[in-house]
Parts: sequence; C-alpha cells; structure tokens
Amino acid sequence: MSTGWLIGSAVIAVIVAPLIGGLLRGIDRKLTAHMQGRIGPPIIQPFYDVIKLFGKKPMVAGGAQLAFAYAFLALIITATVFFALRQDLLVVLFILFFGSLCLPLGALSVKSPYSQLGGHRELLQFLAYEPILLLAAIPIALKAEGFSIANIFEYGRPLLPDLWITFIALLIALAIVMRKSPFDISGSEHAHQELVRGVVTEYSGPYLALIELGHWYEMVLLLSILGLFWVTGSLWWLSIIIALASWFIMLIVDNINARLTWSWMLKFAWGAGVSLVALNILFINLGWM
Amino acid sequence: MIGTLVGVAILFPIITGFICLPIKNHRARGGIVSLTAVVLIISSIFFLRQGSFPIEYSPAPTWDSVILVFNYVILALFLVMAIRDIIQRGISRHNILTIALTLAAGIPLAIFEFSWAPHTPLEVTPALYIDHLSIIMCLIISIIGSLICVYAIRYMRDHEEHRMHLGELKETTQPRFFFFMLMFLGAMNGLVFANNLLWLAFFWEITTLACWGLIRHDGTPIAITNAFRALWMCLIGSVGFSLAIMFLWNGSLNTISLMEVISNGASVGPVFLLPFALLCLAGFTKAAQLPFQSWLLGAMVAPTPVSALLHSSTMVNAGVYLVLRIAPGFQGTHLSTLIAIYGGAVFLATALLAISQSEGKKVLAYSTIGNLGLIILCAGINTPLAIAVGIMLLIFHAISKGLLFLCAGAIEHHIWSRNIEDMEGVARNLPLLTGITIAGMLSMLVAPFGVLITKWGAMEAASGIGVWSTLVLVLIMLGSGATTVFWAKWIGRFLCHSPVLGRAKMEPFIPLYHGILLMLITFAVVFSILIAPVYNSVIAPALTEAGYNVASAFTTGAWFLKSPIGIFAAWPIFIIITLALLIPALATRAKPETIRSSYMCGENVEIGVDEFVAVADERTQLKTGGFYIENMLGEGNLNRFVVPVGIVLLVILFVLATI
Repeated sequence: MSTGWLIGSAVIAVIVAPLIGGLLRGIDRKLTAHMQGRIGPPIIQPFYDVIKLFGKKPMVAGGAQLAFAYAFLALIITATVFFALRQDLLVVLFILFFGSLCLPLGALSVKSPYSQLGGHRELLQFLAYEPILLLAAIPIALKAEGFSIANIFEYGRPLLPDLWITFIALLIALAIVMRKSPFDISGSEHAHQELVRGVVTEYSGPYLALIELGHWYEMVLLLSILGLFWVTGSLWWLSIIIALASWFIMLIVDNINARLTWSWMLKFAWGAGVSLVALNILFINLGWM
Repeated sequence: MIGTLVGVAILFPIITGFICLPIKNHRARGGIVSLTAVVLIISSIFFLRQGSFPIEYSPAPTWDSVILVFNYVILALFLVMAIRDIIQRGISRHNILTIALTLAAGIPLAIFEFSWAPHTPLEVTPALYIDHLSIIMCLIISIIGSLICVYAIRYMRDHEEHRMHLGELKETTQPRFFFFMLMFLGAMNGLVFANNLLWLAFFWEITTLACWGLIRHDGTPIAITNAFRALWMCLIGSVGFSLAIMFLWNGSLNTISLMEVISNGASVGPVFLLPFALLCLAGFTKAAQLPFQSWLLGAMVAPTPVSALLHSSTMVNAGVYLVLRIAPGFQGTHLSTLIAIYGGAVFLATALLAISQSEGKKVLAYSTIGNLGLIILCAGINTPLAIAVGIMLLIFHAISKGLLFLCAGAIEHHIWSRNIEDMEGVARNLPLLTGITIAGMLSMLVAPFGVLITKWGAMEAASGIGVWSTLVLVLIMLGSGATTVFWAKWIGRFLCHSPVLGRAKMEPFIPLYHGILLMLITFAVVFSILIAPVYNSVIAPALTEAGYNVASAFTTGAWFLKSPIGIFAAWPIFIIITLALLIPALATRAKPETIRSSYMCGENVEIGVDEFVAVADERTQLKTGGFYIENMLGEGNLNRFVVPVGIVLLVILFVLATI
C-alpha cells in the first residue's frame, strides 16, 4: 500500500465517515419508529438536526466544557485518521479513548446535578467497554501476527472463523459505546431518561452539534473495527455486510430491552464480555483455534 | 574521575545532610539544600556523559570495614528505637515485630559475615558496578529527588508556620527533616551502584532508616505508629536479603557479587531460584506490593515532599530496581511467569481500590503501587521488549508521580485539605496550579504521554508469552480501565464549578512551587516526544548490558517506536493530538454573553449562584460530589480478597522457587 494511497484513504475517511454515520442514525430512527408502530422522521433528519444546531446561538456554562466538546470531536477524527492510515490497533483505541473521555470530563466540569450524574455514569460506561475493546485487540494481533491494521489486511485469511467468540464480545462493547438499551445508562435519546439528557445535559446549540458529529465518527470507527473481521480474499465485501449486520443487531437489542442498572452493566461487561475474549485468547494460545 | 563522581553521588548528600543538622537558620539551610541539589544534578549528568559503561569500581578496602560496622550500627539503632517506643508508649504489635525482624535479619547476617565468610569484611571485586540501568536510576534520584528537596525548602516553611499557628509545634524540626531527605538521596545512589550484596544490603537499611525518620517527622501518635509499620514491613525484606546472601554462599556459587549471581542465574539449576525469590520478596516489600501496601498508605501522614520522594525517586524505586536488575537471572522459569501474574494482580487490585478513595494522596499512593506492579509484571514477562518497557515506565512514572505529589502538596497549602471533595472547583481559584496538575494526571493517563506508551508496550509484550498471557492481559486491561476512572473523576472535581462571569484570576506565582512543577511537567512532555532517542541512548544499552537481545525489543526509525509487532509513531501522534487540543482551547473562548447557568429544571436563583429554589420557595444550596462506590470497592470490602490473594501468590512464588 503506497503512502499516497493511504493518505488519500484517510482524507476520504474523514469526509465520508460522518455522512455514513448520519445516514445510519437516520435509518436507525426510522426503523426504530417502525418497530414501535410509528412513521418516524425522514432518513436525513439527523443532518437537518445538526445543521440547525450549528445555526443556534451559542450558550455555555463554562470555558472548559467548550474546549472538551471540540477535543471530543477532534480526537475521534484523529483516531479515524490513524485507523485509515492502518496504524497500530491499540494506538487507535487509545486515541479513541482519550476522545471518549472528553465527554464525561466536559460534563463533570459544570456544577450541575444532572450533568454530574451523567458524567459519572459515562465513566462507568467507559469502565465497562474499555477492557473489552483493548482485550479484543489481542486475539486479532495473535492471528494477524501484529497489532498494525496493515497486518490484518496482509493476513491471508478472514478473522471471523477463528475469532467469532471475540466478535460476540465486541458486539457487547458496541452496544455500550452506542448507548443502546440495556446499556443507555449515561444518556439515551429515548424519552424514558430521568437524567434529562444525561452526560450532554449542559450542551446546547453548536457544541451539541459537535458532540453529535463525534458520535457519528465514533460509531463508524467501531463498525469499521468489526468490519476488519473479514477484509481479505475475494469475499472482502463481507466486511461491509458484517458491519451493517452488527449495527442492525444493535437496533433490535435496543428495542427489545429496557434500561438496566449500571452495576448490572459492569458485571455483564466484565463477566461476559471480558471472559469471552479471554477464552478466545486462551484457545488461540492452546492452539485450538 | 570515577571515584570523584561516585563520591559526589553517594557521600556528598550524606555529608551535607549532617551539615544541615545543627543549622537553625532557614535561609542557610535552604542554601545548603539548593547547593546539594545543583551539585547532584550536574554530577549525575556528567556521569552519564563521561561515556564508557559498564564501570567497575572498587574504593579503598577500608570502606568494606566502614560498611560492616555501620550496618550493625543501623540494626542496633532499630532495636534501640523499638525499645524506646516500648518504654514511651507501651508494647504494641509494631515495636515487637520491629525487634523480632531486626534480630531475624541481623543474626543470619552476623553468622554469615563472622563465621561463614573466609575473611571479615568479605570483599567483592568490583564493589560497585555501574551500568546504564544504574545511571538511569542515578539520574532519576539526583534530578527528581533533588528538585523535590528544593521544593521542600518552601513547603516545610509553610508547613511549620501552619503547625505553629495551630499550636502543634514550638520549635523548628526542619534540620532533622533535611538530614533524612539528603541522606536518602545518597543512600539510593549507593544502592543502585552496589555490586557487593553486603553493600547493597547496607544501603537498603539506610533507606529504611531514612524512611522511618521521615514518616514519623510530625511526631503525632499516628505518624509514629505508621513509621514503625513501615519499618517492620521493610525489615521483612531485609530478612529476605540476609537469607538470600546465606543461600547464595552456601549454594554452588560461593559468591555475593550481584553480577556473578545474575549471570549464572537459572543455568545453575532450580535450587538456585530460592535466593532470587528471596531478593524479589525484598523488592516487593520495599515497593509496597500486596500484601505490604499498608506501609506506603500509612506513610501519607508525613509532609507531602516525603511522599513525593518515597513514591517517585527513592524507596519504592529501590524495590522495582532490584527486581528489574535480577530479572535476567530467572528468565524463562515458572518463577518469572508467576511474578508477571503477581504484578498484574497488584495493578488491578490497586486501580479498583483507588476508585473508592476520597483522600487525594491515597489515590496517588494506590496509583504508585499499581504502576510498580506493572513494572514488576514487565520484569516477570522478562522478554527484551518487556524489560525495555519496565525501565521506561520507571522513568516516566518517577517524573509524573513526583510532579503529582508536589502538586497535591501545593494545592493542600492553598486549601488546607487533602480531600478530593474539598478540591471542587479549585481550577477557578488556582488556575495555573490546577492546570499543571491536570496535565500531570493526563500524562499518567492518555495517549501521547510516556506512561501510556509503556502501557501499550506492556500489552504488546504480554501478548507473546503463551498460555499464561491470557490471565496477565485480562489483569492489565481491567486495571487500565479502572485507572482511567479514578483519574478522570478527580479531574472532574477540579473543574467542577458553577457558571460565573469573567475570567479566572491567576494565583500568585511561587517560584519554589510553580517553577519546579513547570520543570517536571516539561520533562514529562519532552521525554514523551523524544522517547525514541531516549530509548536509543540509555535504555537500549541497559538491555544489552543485562544480556538481553536488543534486536527483539524496540527499533526506532524516524524517531518512531516500533515493537516487533506494533508501532507507536510517538512524535506525529504528539503533534496531531496537541493540535487537536490546543487549537480549540486557544481559539475558542467562552464569551461572557454566552454564559448561562446550569440546568436545574428552571428553578435556578440566578447566574453564578449555587442555589436553587426548593420547596416553599426556599433558596437551597446546590451540592455535588464525586462517586466512590465504597460498598463495592471500599478498602474494607476489597482488602478481604486482595490481601489473601497477595499472600497466596507469594506462597506459590516460594513453592515454585524451591521445587
């Protein structure tokens, strides 16, 4: 892969990712509405929302909050760029985590009861999914013989047959990152949220738009990581199917579940999620997979 | 030349420490401490620059006799201290254990030195062996340790003024304080240079003594109790040391030269592992690993510069230094694997415990123990990559943790509290100080900084050790998640304040506080960017000297750090992230007209007032707080599992070492 090609793909990723992300959010809302017997908004409603938010008068509760909104978006874009440049998977995750951390930090920097509660709960979400994502990089690296995403592309075989256990764990992590029920602890788009809007309570107007954009990038990046499970060979297009299928599973899970408590989430993520990846690593080390 | 440099590194601070003892004048004492700091820093850099390592150096044979005598003087001192404590405060667990363990450490040593050894004192050539690992340690001790001592000049003045104001103190006790601080630096330099195990044991005892003196400095009953706890727990390590020396002599080697012991290492056979396990035990006690963590937590009662010194550049570092130093000796054994698991368990347990702590210094202490656990984990993985990561973490942790303790001390001297909840919104009143503190916390936590680079390295290194890597990796990943939580919620408390109009006013700039803090945060940033050249110039040679194959550790092209299985583009990541953070931070300012009060269901009183309208239109104070999950992660709950796990792992360690 030439350097020029890589840089080109990074530029494309930065431009295309929010378009895909916004579109998926629109379809998400439409499908969810249909599942609940409603008609729902137009598919491109998320773009209308964000454009309208950008046009609103800025209102903030403090300077730190504002800086964290920018940093959230900027760092997640950075992570996307490093992913497109096929860098070390762990490094991509670390940059993504730094970005994700800006969200609770922004929330915690305002003395507001709702935002404080949301921020702390967001940290618990983080505590639940971070170990799964980091640990999932290990079996991938063991199979592809390296942590670079480039290694996965060079690895001749698809990862999914050997790493389906890890894949299931990643689906759990994805649901937590996307804040889908039953994991919508820190903030949920549905009306059944007693925290007003949880972690983003104190954000409005253009700054809320930045965070929404950041979430689009974040979702596309995570779906791309799931897509890595089948990127080689003549069936490379399966990666797109896998990513979309994972996304669709999230939708269904979201709609058939109610929100549960944070302690349940933590136990489930550490118990089921982490153990699944650990089992996969163990099987690989024992030569069974 | 070498003789002078060694003399300056070891003897000079001890001598200036003695000079401090009779000086009551604050300025004169400050001058001596500053002079010592400058001399130590310059001479340590000279030491690095003068080139050809490893250096083998043996001072005049009389020094062997001096050390022999003083070693028993110190042990006798421990007995006297404990007996005096019994007379003054009655019999307690701590002073009885001190006496018992001093005898348990001293008697085997005496049997060895006066009866087994072919001649007394037993000399080893060379007495001092100085390679790159020693010089890295020497730089950490001499530079960071000295800066902490300089900071302490101002800190102790404020500290004593405050205590005199409260009526707890009548006369200054600072001379004794700086005596112990400076002696600590000298002893640590001796410890990292020593090759003769008897010398190593001697410097080991001096650090224990200095630690005791510094913890009990304030003289309160709790300080004295905690000082004795630290003493007897570290003496367990000394017992390990004495027994290790006996086993080494009695085994097939007949040597007490550290270098010979390591180079013969596992080749001699499994029976030989017992001395290694004993030396590791000594390292674990010093580094306050499970189940010995309570002494380091108790050490929090001391003035903050003491904590900074113990946690960053001395004491606990001696423990991990020893484990890293002897790691080549047990490479490829089951002992090594178990040490990796043990380090991982410590890392996870302390990260979880730290979440439940509301006292700032205790959070820092648990974080220290956890990071040392990570270094021990690296020593246990014992591949060239892992050892390189361990040494890097030692450097970065020393810088960041020294910085954070000094920050905690400076903040404490503004708000007169150590409780994280009292630090709510201090960013508003102390913007510069809090800014540096947050930067320091981020340097322990997020991507382009050194500590995170080492976490990345540790994960990649751990993935390559076969079946047991599964367990080790799970421990690292879970611990790493918990680490993020306790730092982030602390940062959140700093920043949490009500929307107010107008910009924060800068606090007065205190050179001995802010200046030193700025210096340390600059080190953290610069070393993170220059990690590849730093690796090439000191860490790679240290690996070669320890007998590791550098080719399978990191390679550096274009100042990128490449492990055999991954790549960390250190400086591009740094530039991109800095741009991503700085541009918005500098370009966007919250304009006064955009400030709104926080959301309280429309019941706010007015902007900038922490009050809301409650029942019967009463104005009610808004209160927020951090979460600590004490019912799950509190010490009372977790220690019931954590301490037995630590003990069981240590027992297994010894079982593995003897079979």
